[in-house]
Amino acid sequence: MNRTLEHILPKVQKPARYTGGEYNAVVKDRRAVDVRYALCFPDTYEIGMSNLGCRILYGLMNQQEGVWCERCYAPWGDMEEEMRREGLLLYGLESGDPISDFDIIGFSLGYEMAYSNVLNMLDLAGLPLRSEDRPELTPLIVAGGTCAYNPEPLAPFIDLFVLGEGEDVTLEYIQLYRQAKEECWSKEEFLQEAAKIEGIYVPSFYEPIYHEDGTLAEMRIKAGSGAPETVRKRIVEDMNKSYFPVKTIIPSTEIVHDRVMLELFRGCIRGCRFCQAGYTYRPVRNRDPKLLAEYGKAACEDSGYQEMTLSSLSSTDYPCLLELCDDLLDYCAPRDIGLSLPSLRADTFSMNLMERLQRVRKGGLTFAPEAGTQRLRDAINKNLREEDLLQSVRTCFSGGWNGVKLYFMLGLPTETDEDVLGIADLARKVYFAWKECSPNKARGVRITVSTSWFVPKPHTAFQWEAQITREEYQRRVDLLRDALKRDKSITYNWHDPETSYLEAVFSRGDRRLADVLEYAWLHGAKMDSWSEYFDFQRWMDALKACGVDGDFYAHRERPRDEVFPWCRIDPMVTPAFLWREREQCYSSQTTPDCRTRCSGCGANRLLKGGVCNG
Amino acid sequence: MADRLLFSKTGRAKYISHLDLMRTFQRAFARAGIPIKHTEGFHPHPFVSIALPLSVGYSSQCEILEFGLLEGTPYEAVPARLTAAMPEGIVIHQCYPAQRKLKELTYLNYIMNFEYSEGRPQETEPAMQELLRRDSLVIQKKSNKSKKGYTEVDLIPLIRSFNLECQSDTLTLDAVVQAQNPGLNPELIRAAFCQAYPDLAPDFVTFHRREVLDGEGKAFR
Repeated sequence: MNRTLEHILPKVQKPARYTGGEYNAVVKDRRAVDVRYALCFPDTYEIGMSNLGCRILYGLMNQQEGVWCERCYAPWGDMEEEMRREGLLLYGLESGDPISDFDIIGFSLGYEMAYSNVLNMLDLAGLPLRSEDRPELTPLIVAGGTCAYNPEPLAPFIDLFVLGEGEDVTLEYIQLYRQAKEECWSKEEFLQEAAKIEGIYVPSFYEPIYHEDGTLAEMRIKAGSGAPETVRKRIVEDMNKSYFPVKTIIPSTEIVHDRVMLELFRGCIRGCRFCQAGYTYRPVRNRDPKLLAEYGKAACEDSGYQEMTLSSLSSTDYPCLLELCDDLLDYCAPRDIGLSLPSLRADTFSMNLMERLQRVRKGGLTFAPEAGTQRLRDAINKNLREEDLLQSVRTCFSGGWNGVKLYFMLGLPTETDEDVLGIADLARKVYFAWKECSPNKARGVRITVSTSWFVPKPHTAFQWEAQITREEYQRRVDLLRDALKRDKSITYNWHDPETSYLEAVFSRGDRRLADVLEYAWLHGAKMDSWSEYFDFQRWMDALKACGVDGDFYAHRERPRDEVFPWCRIDPMVTPAFLWREREQCYSSQTTPDCRTRCSGCGANRLLKGGVCNG
Repeated sequence: MADRLLFSKTGRAKYISHLDLMRTFQRAFARAGIPIKHTEGFHPHPFVSIALPLSVGYSSQCEILEFGLLEGTPYEAVPARLTAAMPEGIVIHQCYPAQRKLKELTYLNYIMNFEYSEGRPQETEPAMQELLRRDSLVIQKKSNKSKKGYTEVDLIPLIRSFNLECQSDTLTLDAVVQAQNPGLNPELIRAAFCQAYPDLAPDFVTFHRREVLDGEGKAFR
């Protein structure tokens, strides 16, 4: 181990985060590889190691001969301070070598509040932040993940973005990079070729042109770049043939999701109108239950984990859920391996399943009705009926559960005070369900209502919407708080509005926000999803200093024909469909799920034969 | 009595904390396919217990872990299989049924390297000699139990013997210290030295546990 690192580690908290050497970490011979890849997650080790996507890409790349992929996470403040003091550059966990010497540095972008960490990590690596200040091909800075669906706020810093699922396209651009390196291409030459690969967006080939009022006139394609009109996202068509990380790194210290994760399917049939994942991960692609059971067992054997979880956007919608659970339970039960099922819908079927799975622990349950009235739930296409929810909680309470968390959003399009108060009514009905069903009332009940401030996202039916103002959000919070004041068994928490505002600014932001980001970072922004570090005023100062009006992005309703900063990005769900969904919202009309009836979103075009299997 | 493992913890594994190491062993037994006894009770879990927890950042070649091997795995098969299931830096040397009680474990042999990147001052050796030959060396030690937030410890009765060796940029202290009731964390020797001779404070000190000893100074297993 590097001597400087060895001297630093005793001074920092949880040093095992910074050492590598975990079971199944891949160590290759430096001389036997020609492409070195630093897979960076712009948050702490504990968060980044819990990301399934990164585990997939790590395993996949390291399967390739000649490629060595290492991990890199954002150091916590104490570690960063020591690194800067000692001049220790950001390094790959496997080799300890500085990532600035690597061929490719790839960032996984899961949430906007991690953007400042991307800049901070580039700086800790000793690299110039802006793509134009890195004239050489190496190291190439790449980014992907859900935030890449609107890459513009990060555009000046990243050489290329990858859209959609990374399994195939990652290997394709690595192969191209290898050729470029062998044949000594310039960075420009490489990027031009890379832009021809489906799913790759090279931001420097698109120039935003603005109207005088600040809206976009167009994203102009740079002459001679050969960049495509639109960049289509990539998907893995056959989930049964795609790579699954059975043998994966087992951390030597605790991480957030410290268990076997089994990915049931990608996509979601529901079509909730606010949900970016629900639209951008289309179409639904299932994995075979027999294969999943095999993966799950093999992953338990290899990891020694005593816990397994099924992951997807809506587990109840997996067609073979019962069959799979029975298979897994046969394996797990005699070995005391716990099986958990997040992302369940609040219907009776799910509750019966829960009871079968959770034999011992009966803690709290979490439901996300999202809205308080049936009208608003219909408007956002959250097809959850009050009767179903109440029936579910009755089942839970009768079965001995005594805590329920309910998640809602405030500020959804068309929301009225009646809808806000509906949240209180619903919570009270849940309370009465407990009174009616609980076998042991002496223990009391904990009902928690949490609200967040709705953030409209790109590529959703609400991409044209204004986020309600902060004052209005606060008024609705107060309204609900007053309504719940007398209910002692109901606790009300509301999400702090400051990060939601910035998310609203950045999620639909354009390239002008890059300056804001850089300014904020220069003035200390990092780890913005951690309250220890987040400073709202710093961001407001940055907006002001750069002459950018945050409200323009957050609180402005866009006309139908607005040119969006993400207009060159094509998730294969058509704007016409999204607009139709928006109109359906305003008439409180639901859209059936994909299995009941195809609503023609366009994602079927990604599949051979053009038919979704649901 | 229980079964025991003798293992070393060096390199990158030095930074795995005590609790994390226990969890790592529990999982490693499972992935090595070595069934071990579980605790009883509402949430049964594989039982492992590590004698004399090692501070984070210290290396050791003589750690002892107690557990219960279930039938089906011969003792001699355990070290290789378990080591293969371990993170880098943890190597299992022996697996055997315990013959004696842990309370007979009396002393620990530590190797401490006082490093001076600019070259070791000559005075370090006589200074350390002087310090450790005092009749008493009382130092304040952090304590959560005491109201004052610290307690006072006299190091001298807890140091059984020591030996010094000098290199151009290192002073090596080879010390045998009391292991338990109370044990002596060798960090206190470093702290006492830096307090008594602040001008001779080293740039860095490494700590290595070389042997666990019984009351007669023989290796404890």
